[in-house]
Amino acid sequence: MQTPIHLQTRIRLQDYEAIVGKSSLDELKMLAQKFEGKIIQIVNSTYIGGGVAEILEHMVPLLNQLGVDARWDVINGNEEFFEVTKKFHNALHGSSEKISAKDLALFSDITQQNLDQMKFYGDIMFIHDPQPVGLITKKKEVGKKWLWRCHIDVSAPNQKIWSFLRKFVVQYDGAVFSAPNFTRELPIRQFLVSPSIDPLSDKNKELDPSTIADVLTKYGLVSDKPMIVQISRFDRLKDPLGVIETFKMVRKNIDCQLVLAGGTATDDPESAEVYSEVMKQAEGNPDIHVLLIPAESDIEINALQRAATIIIQKSLKEGFGLTISEALWKSKPVVASAVGGIPLQVKNQLTGLLCYSVEGAAYDLRQLLTNPEFAGWLGRNGREHVKQNFLITGHLKNYMLLFLALDYQSDVVNL
Amino acid sequence: MASWLNNSWLWLTENWLQVAIPLVIFLATYVIGLWVRRVAFRAFNRWVGDKWEGSQYVVQTTRTPFIYWFLILGAFIAVEASVLGSTGKELAGKILASLFIFSLTWVVLSLSVKILRFYMRKISHLQNSEVLILNIVRVAIAVVGALILLDIWGAPTTPIILLLAAAILVAALAFRDLFANLYSGFQLAQGEQIKVGDFIKLESGESGYVTDVTWRNTRIRMLDGNLLLVPNIRLVQSTVINYGRPLKKASKPFRFYSRLYLKELTGLKASNLSELANVLREVPDAVIYYHTHHFLEEHHYLTPEPANDFALWVGDEIGDEVLEEKLASIDTFDYPTISALRSRIEGVVTDYISKKPDERVAREGREFYFIKSISFIMPTTYVANDLREFVEMLRQVSLDSLSYHIFEARLRLKKRTNDFAIWVEECVGDQDLADRIANLNPYDYTLDGMRSMMIQLIEKRVK
Repeated sequence: MQTPIHLQTRIRLQDYEAIVGKSSLDELKMLAQKFEGKIIQIVNSTYIGGGVAEILEHMVPLLNQLGVDARWDVINGNEEFFEVTKKFHNALHGSSEKISAKDLALFSDITQQNLDQMKFYGDIMFIHDPQPVGLITKKKEVGKKWLWRCHIDVSAPNQKIWSFLRKFVVQYDGAVFSAPNFTRELPIRQFLVSPSIDPLSDKNKELDPSTIADVLTKYGLVSDKPMIVQISRFDRLKDPLGVIETFKMVRKNIDCQLVLAGGTATDDPESAEVYSEVMKQAEGNPDIHVLLIPAESDIEINALQRAATIIIQKSLKEGFGLTISEALWKSKPVVASAVGGIPLQVKNQLTGLLCYSVEGAAYDLRQLLTNPEFAGWLGRNGREHVKQNFLITGHLKNYMLLFLALDYQSDVVNL
Repeated sequence: MASWLNNSWLWLTENWLQVAIPLVIFLATYVIGLWVRRVAFRAFNRWVGDKWEGSQYVVQTTRTPFIYWFLILGAFIAVEASVLGSTGKELAGKILASLFIFSLTWVVLSLSVKILRFYMRKISHLQNSEVLILNIVRVAIAVVGALILLDIWGAPTTPIILLLAAAILVAALAFRDLFANLYSGFQLAQGEQIKVGDFIKLESGESGYVTDVTWRNTRIRMLDGNLLLVPNIRLVQSTVINYGRPLKKASKPFRFYSRLYLKELTGLKASNLSELANVLREVPDAVIYYHTHHFLEEHHYLTPEPANDFALWVGDEIGDEVLEEKLASIDTFDYPTISALRSRIEGVVTDYISKKPDERVAREGREFYFIKSISFIMPTTYVANDLREFVEMLRQVSLDSLSYHIFEARLRLKKRTNDFAIWVEECVGDQDLADRIANLNPYDYTLDGMRSMMIQLIEKRVK
């Protein structure tokens, strides 16, 4: 499959200069020169939906503008295949999923179909997440450098599924994880690269007050009442029911409203089921707003985050949790579970508050709602933290360094 | 023929006074003209003196025509005093007025061309457009002169004037920026405020050396080697700091490098203090460097900055605040090499647990993961030849570049102090400034704070 037309976006590299500075862009340009004549082939499972597609959608055009020949392909798969890979996803997170021999066979069949249909033209093959992990089988035939980018926490996986996937993973030249605690012991090199947000995307750019007001009106939200917002797909691992429970504890003493907003992804067939459970739990409470927002509603997500008094992310498991960086970029105080990549973004008491339970989350929310100065200080720190560590320009830099690192073994490389 | 001569002589003898008076008036006006020119030019020279270089052109160009104008004036008064009829006087007046306008047009045209040429030659590249500009001026003045002449002879000039006015208005609108920049170029040249070779800094922050002043733009070679074209009007209307000529060149230029790093897992982790001490002895230098420095970059905005990763982990996960304090108080600046720093950290942990065994274990997933940084060192486009250039570049380079020259070069690459101090000492020859920079403890400041401190020190010196 070819790089989709929607990637010919209006994103321009020079627009980031005002945010990260000229010297940072100069460094990117110098790094990009090292890839002259090389093709980076990026492969994942979907062009739309979820954090990975969202990052690639912005990253690929920017790499191209830097002069790096990066191309993005997706594997083909039917609904059954994505149901199986969703099970894989949950199992790698440690959930007890029933994965049958039939499921594994289906995964192998679809992988084989993609091996037969896909063109492997990259000098560096950059494979994202478990769905296309089996493409590594082609390495024996085409050679080149292969990197596996794992966006999920595989530190405590279902052993059956990890054993199945591990035999693919160990064939790569290197694996890339988002946090040190996401990793498994592997006989290959393991790198750490945090994902990122794009400060100029519709989801993160500055909005004028009238746009925010329009979105609030559209969803029947009032601006004169503190608003607690969780933005995430309707997924059990995001614990939307736990968020409602937390909110009900806070609401006993403080007048506020809760917004649970999210969408679904093409590779997540379970979302609709979770959504209906959440609706049932919220039924009859006028202060709880459950919003099913389509994937392309980035401005609305942005507006909801900007309108929020506090952003909560009470996930039970996380890949990295990019919604945290999105919230911090908007200088919002954040209460989030200490899972996955969240502790990398939320340094407790410095850039937000970490929680470990419903009760802890409720306590933190009350602290922030009643101490707006402290909340503001956390928000300002959070924005600086994201600027330094989790913006797309830094991500581009890390990926280019990663591609270069495959050619070197020493700790100090003179370019 | 003889009778005509006789009649004329007879008329002259009878009316000699009517001829003599205009003739006397004409000659008197000429003499007055000579005297007025002498007085006026002396006064003009005294008034202008050396204040304006263009005064010589005024004198040269108007000296002779000045007398012509008095002759024309004398002729006009003489005609008016003569016995000519009204029709003759009117005709003579028009002829004389035409001669005056013709002469005046020539003088204005000649003077304008000389003065323009004089100023344009002060602005390089404007010379390329000299012919075009002078021709425009010549045509403009000639057209005005012609219009006045037509008016004197009663020709209808209003439609022509309206047409010309419209054309000029359109041209002025179309080329308003051009004219504004051109005029600003003249102002810059006349005041000699900015010259080729000067180091200037614009209000918007850009700085560099002036390489050229053209009729529209001033060209500035910026510190990263790029060329900046600034419209002349911007230079005239905004605040520009002109530092003048470059300072004394360093014996060797300073090239700023940048260090980018990638994190790689070592596969080693510790879940309690004993494991921490054991692994500390084995890990490569790159691991020690990473865990004692990455916070300085990743959290450079926080004051005070968090201490090294070992102290943070011992405090957050093991919950031992005493050991946390001991580790946090290790001053990295005191250790000239990574191995010395490693020995100190490992020594503090070993010593502590030998006196107070601690079996507390970190939560699952919150163990201490040993990470190493792979440094990629690459040259930037910033190359400083003197302290002025150096300080301006210091403002602009990235935090990665600062980190490389301040931390990495000193400790990991085993240099005795930071790169900046070494260059100031060895290549600029300023021992005192070098010592002051070397004595700044980078672990006491944020990176931006360190940058500010060095800029202040160097600014004082270059002033």
